[in-house]
Amino acid sequence: MQSPLLSVDDLHVAAGGVDVVHGVSFDLAPGEAIGLVGESGSGKTLTCRAILGVPPPGVTVSGGAIRLAGEDVSRYSRRQWDRVRGPRVAAVFQDPASYLNPSLTVGRQLDEVLRVKNGLDRRAARTRAVELLASMGLHRPEHVHDQYPYELSGGMLQRVLIAIAVSGDPDLLVADEPTTALDVTVQAEVLDLIAALRAERRLSLLLVSHDLAVVAQLCDRVVVLRHGRVVESGPTRRVLDDPADPYTRQLVADHREYGLDRLVTR
Amino acid sequence: MRALRLAVRLRPAKLALAVLGLVVVLMAVGDTIAPYDPLHQDTTAILAGPSAEHWLGTDYVGRDVLSRLLAGSRLSVVAAAEAVGLGLLLGVLPGLASVYFGRVFEWLSLRVMDGLMALPFIIFAIAVAALLGNGLHQAMFAVGVLLAPTFYRVTRAAAIGLRQAQYVEAGTLFGATRWRIVRTHVWQKVLPTVVVTTATAMAGALLVVSSLTFLGIGVQPPAPTWGGMLASDLGYLTQRPFGPVAPALLIIVTVAALNALADAIRDATGDGAPASAAPLHEEVPDAISAAVRR
Amino acid sequence: MRALHAVGRAALIAVPVLLISTFITFGLGALSDQNPAAAAMGETATQADIDRLNHEFGLDRPFLERYATWIGDAVTGDLGRSWFTHIPVAESIGQRLPVSLSIAALALLLAVVLGAAAGIGAALNAGGWFDRAVTAVSAALSTIPAFVAGIALIVVFSVLIPVFPAGGYVPPSQGVGPWLTYLMLPAVALSLDSAADLARQLRTGLVGTLRENYVTGAVVRGLGPRRVVFGHALRNGAGPAVAVLGLHVPRLIGGAVITETVFAMPGLGQLATTGALQGDVPVVQGTLLVAIALVLVSSVVVNVALARLRPGSGRTV
Repeated sequence: MQSPLLSVDDLHVAAGGVDVVHGVSFDLAPGEAIGLVGESGSGKTLTCRAILGVPPPGVTVSGGAIRLAGEDVSRYSRRQWDRVRGPRVAAVFQDPASYLNPSLTVGRQLDEVLRVKNGLDRRAARTRAVELLASMGLHRPEHVHDQYPYELSGGMLQRVLIAIAVSGDPDLLVADEPTTALDVTVQAEVLDLIAALRAERRLSLLLVSHDLAVVAQLCDRVVVLRHGRVVESGPTRRVLDDPADPYTRQLVADHREYGLDRLVTR
Repeated sequence: MRALRLAVRLRPAKLALAVLGLVVVLMAVGDTIAPYDPLHQDTTAILAGPSAEHWLGTDYVGRDVLSRLLAGSRLSVVAAAEAVGLGLLLGVLPGLASVYFGRVFEWLSLRVMDGLMALPFIIFAIAVAALLGNGLHQAMFAVGVLLAPTFYRVTRAAAIGLRQAQYVEAGTLFGATRWRIVRTHVWQKVLPTVVVTTATAMAGALLVVSSLTFLGIGVQPPAPTWGGMLASDLGYLTQRPFGPVAPALLIIVTVAALNALADAIRDATGDGAPASAAPLHEEVPDAISAAVRR
Repeated sequence: MRALHAVGRAALIAVPVLLISTFITFGLGALSDQNPAAAAMGETATQADIDRLNHEFGLDRPFLERYATWIGDAVTGDLGRSWFTHIPVAESIGQRLPVSLSIAALALLLAVVLGAAAGIGAALNAGGWFDRAVTAVSAALSTIPAFVAGIALIVVFSVLIPVFPAGGYVPPSQGVGPWLTYLMLPAVALSLDSAADLARQLRTGLVGTLRENYVTGAVVRGLGPRRVVFGHALRNGAGPAVAVLGLHVPRLIGGAVITETVFAMPGLGQLATTGALQGDVPVVQGTLLVAIALVLVSSVVVNVALARLRPGSGRTV
């Protein structure tokens, strides 16, 4: 087996001095997609924030290791992180509007990353930015480039954020509930975009979601979290078709009514 | 009302009240406990340092600094209170009226308050004092008028917040008169805000009074005031560099106590709005906060 | 385009404000029983003198007509003549305005520099010793009136350690160095209160903004700390501070009047005070009008700055 791109090893995360994630472990191979599922409070978002090195205030990694391409990033300094973020790891989040600076045009925020991380000059950055926006399926990309976040819809903003995320050509994309805040039709489009990008760029994906249908569509393997512990993990089809753990069984049963069958058997 | 009582129990509030109580007592009985006549000139002790006879020393014509401070307190505090009282009257009532008595009044009063806010305090007070006869009452009339927009805005903001509140609506349904609603429901909610604003306005007015009397506006020279004492000390700094310390400290401590009291009440009522900072156009902070909330 | 739009809207709001406040100003002059003869000749003025001078200064015309003439002339830069010296008011103001503006502008600059440094430093160390020190010092400074601070500065830096002059003024044409030397103490005295308030507002604004998702987003994109703070957080966190700065500009202009008296500088304050004590109505009205205009111009500038800072806020004034 290839050496994993991301290896989470017995990760403990503490909030306010009390452990809330108790030894989560999983490996992510290059090009693979893993879904981290569980209900709210299961520790999936904290795990994901810890992997990105941006735990919320008062939250710390209290034990274990997070190895990115073999290096433990859990003790990284800000400077070390800034070298890794962009070319190695990038992220998109729930509620895209809040992750863009409200007083800068979206294009300026994309240009900034291209200039700082990829060393492009102002003009080249703009050209590349418009290309990227176009390849995200945004119509009239030049126009979108010069708009402020409040002028764009949630789906468009998430495409912009995905463009920013892939602009540094990362190995790993961490997506924390990327479609939860979007309309159902827009959800499907954004999921298709992520799937297409995976195929095009050999992007590894760590997808955090409470929605098994989303995970079923995008992920090769599933890790089920409950109360900060892994209760079950394995290939997506196996886990969803034949869950071993009673909690997973409950999750799957809860999701049947949302059309999970249709997606799994497609 | 509960919030006000709660605030008074906090330690900084107690300290502030103690200081203010002391100032009021000094103001009330200052001239009876003053060791000398504030105008008496002791030619044998000019610009003297602190001593057993003159606790705070003497000024450039040998007048007792402590006695002048005590006498000056009354003038300064009464003048500031006059201005704040007028500001309250001219601010709170139109503020309530602008919410409950129709759009015409609302529009007119907003424009007038905007106009008043563009007037710089000190220069306007100087102008009024001069044009209406050089007296402290005239100057305080001007300051009171300029304080009105602050009271107007906080009252109006509190009342607008309440306009949609259910119990006010219910009151209207039950046929209560508008004036009765204002009196019983709104007043209780507006009161803490007004008290906070009064304290900060009092602090501001004291500063303005001191500034004006420092400039010699509103008082005839021999009469003692906090600002006037500082002005006369200014000419003799080389002989008596610590002369301004006593009047300056008195001003600073009183103002600090008023601000501390305002903060304590504000904390206790959970009213985050800074009452002292009244914007030129209310739209500015509104637009910001709206954008931040988005 | 956006900026131009903002200027337009702000100016539109300023016009009625200017009219109302100048009307109040002018009305005061008319209400007073001051007249040019009394101002110039005092008790010796006869009724004939009063009538003659009243006619000469146009005071025998109806009030509204006089206001219209006054405001019309003011637009063209004519503020009338002093009742006392008969020197054009605009000329007197023109001589003294640079002094007051120098003090106010330097104070504003100092306030922004000191306030921004303290506020940003405090926000980045929220809860640390620097943060607590900034909070304590700014609370203390905001209770000290500018003229008391001025006296304290004179005592320390002119009397005890004589490094700065205790008062006076030289224009920059006689050397920028001496000019700054004379301005430094008054400007520092005037700036303290504004610097303290600015630091407080900036700290609060930035602490809030640094918790926003888009700041986390910028960090995750691998942008450096300086870029995140100055390029992303400050732009949004500075809004309330800029608004507060707008409120302080009138205070600085008013405060300059007091401060220049402390430091015996020939500015607008001296003109207004002497004019006031002499009952020289045109001088007082003219000074007030210029002060109002300065306040309104600065409020327009602040509103435009806010609009540029946060284009998304929609309403600009």
